[in-house]
Amino acid sequence: MSTARDEILQALRANRPTPENHPLPPVATLGDLDASRERFITSLKILGGDVLEPVEGETLDQAILRRHPDAKVICSNVPEARGTLPVEKVKTPQDAATIDVTVVRAPFGIAEMGSIFLSEAQLPINSFAHLGQHIVVLLSVDQLTANMHTAYQERPEFKTANYGVLMSGPSATADIQGVLIRGAQGVRSLSVWFT
Amino acid sequence: MSDKPVNHARAAEHFIEDTPHLQFHDERLWDMRQKRDAQMHILPEWQELREEASRIKEHTLSRLPEYLEQFETNARKNGIHVHWARDGAEHNRIVGEILKAHNARNLIKSKSMVTEECDMRPYLAKQGVTVTETDLGERIQQLDDQLPSHIVVPAVHKLTADVAKIFAKDYHTDPEIRDPHLLAEAQRQAARPVILHADAGMTGGNFVVAETGTFVVCTNEGNADLSATVPNLHIATIGIERLVPRMADMGVFIRLLSRSALGSPITQYTTHFRGPQKGGEMHVVLVDNGRSARLGMEDFWTSLKCIRCGACMNTCPVYRRSGGLSYGAVYSGPIGAIIDPTFNERKYSTLPYASTLNGSCTNVCPVKINIHEQLYKWRRVLVQHHEMPFVKREIMHMAGKLMGQPRMYRAAIKATEVSLSTMPRFVLYNWLNPWGKHRENPHPVKQTFNDWYRKNRETAAKPAAAPETKK
Ligand code: SF4
Repeated sequence: MSTARDEILQALRANRPTPENHPLPPVATLGDLDASRERFITSLKILGGDVLEPVEGETLDQAILRRHPDAKVICSNVPEARGTLPVEKVKTPQDAATIDVTVVRAPFGIAEMGSIFLSEAQLPINSFAHLGQHIVVLLSVDQLTANMHTAYQERPEFKTANYGVLMSGPSATADIQGVLIRGAQGVRSLSVWFT
Repeated sequence: MSDKPVNHARAAEHFIEDTPHLQFHDERLWDMRQKRDAQMHILPEWQELREEASRIKEHTLSRLPEYLEQFETNARKNGIHVHWARDGAEHNRIVGEILKAHNARNLIKSKSMVTEECDMRPYLAKQGVTVTETDLGERIQQLDDQLPSHIVVPAVHKLTADVAKIFAKDYHTDPEIRDPHLLAEAQRQAARPVILHADAGMTGGNFVVAETGTFVVCTNEGNADLSATVPNLHIATIGIERLVPRMADMGVFIRLLSRSALGSPITQYTTHFRGPQKGGEMHVVLVDNGRSARLGMEDFWTSLKCIRCGACMNTCPVYRRSGGLSYGAVYSGPIGAIIDPTFNERKYSTLPYASTLNGSCTNVCPVKINIHEQLYKWRRVLVQHHEMPFVKREIMHMAGKLMGQPRMYRAAIKATEVSLSTMPRFVLYNWLNPWGKHRENPHPVKQTFNDWYRKNRETAAKPAAAPETKK
């Protein structure tokens, strides 16, 4: 008895166009190769994200409270911020649901899109990036790559992480009469703190 | 499933009668088309990207068995369970078995056209599984018991008041709400507890990378991420044509997808799944459901390049004015009109006629599918297979005769012009004349081109053609 797998593969082999007529093109690196902080910020704002600019003498904890004055539960997974909830308390995916602000570090960002990358390496648990109401992301300027081509070619994380999300601003929808709404299901806001 | 041909024209008529909906639909989609154009103009390499995308996809389709095997090997190595489904029924059975093995009764689901194809929700309902859509537009459609009307924005044909009415019934919100923000918030509040208590999460997959065994999901709401990271069981349903060979190819597709779809540079969330999360389990179901057969159709196999951006729908004048539901199929718009007849030639025989063949769809397609040519080819196939409606067949038959005889054709044109200018409206605008429905017939011209040409050019052209001395 032939399996579904065999049958599908067999049909594909029998029906496909001649492979020799369709060679694989070499990997493309097209477009603007500017990897500057300015370009990243412009793109980030287009997608609804924002920069958290430090005020003279302010710590990250203070800056977070300035941006989110009503936040009660702040959970940080970086040494730069203390937060109010120890990250060890977040053990199950559901535990992240009570958080107002999550704080994480992104290993890199993409200037073309204003996107930051997060994987299980930066998160205590994967839902940490989504169940909180707001997210503050630490990012180093020398970890910016120019565009999607350079990102996929240069960053090893795309081949090693089990879970890797590119976040470009907060969760958004325009499903009701075309009106853009931020904070549809995941985080309501995303702020980048440069280090 | 009934084989009766979809009456697209009648359904469209119904849609057109409602002016506010029609006008909004038309404008909203055209707005997305214009935003797409703006993105295209920003990128000087746009045409190169399209060319690259098209070539990568054609290459992959010609070596699909090898790439699928490569994906399977890599995915398995990394702890993903890979399943194969020949058709919708097999897919549903596999999903049902996985859920049963985990005693999972509540499934949260991110938008996936393949599961719509397979008609999965009613199947799982019978098994006692509650399926909750997490994409806002898809959820609205689920509560209203309708198919998605657009592959990217499933509830695009609805106005705020429609959504308010639907939510009032299920979420007990005020039916008079006219602020979309309040409605979206109601959905967020209603969805949270369901997400937190779900036993399993399901997503689709926009792209599958053979080299790494990864699948990539693109959403704006992040609902796929919630579906995949909150419950410990993640099932992904993916069409077998979704492959790309290398991770480095993803740059081309991510740069094109959302720009073509909504005119935004990228979706808010682009997520790469390469294995289960800590303590979790991950399954991928690879679905054929007619795709391997389509690969063998010489004229139509390139439709498998489609990355489901919806740009062809947004630009199509027929789609914009008839609404996605009028296609009576899971896939609507120009791409739907090509792939639906491969699912059921008789049922969807009317869809390739739902096009003006203006070529706009082909022009915007990020993977360069010759959409309008395929629509034309389908018409020929359907005529050969006698799937053409009687009236249309007769008219075409007469038109063919007429056009084959120039003198008769000219006489007919003159007669038409005369009748257009002299006949009373009720003769011109009735059910016998489809060209008089929902539109004004063209204003009659005083002189036909042929008359003008005879008078002005025919005589002038003759002497001009004579001197042919030096070459
Ligand atoms: S056919 Fe082309 S334009 Fe239409 S949805 Fe598919 S990729 Fe987009």
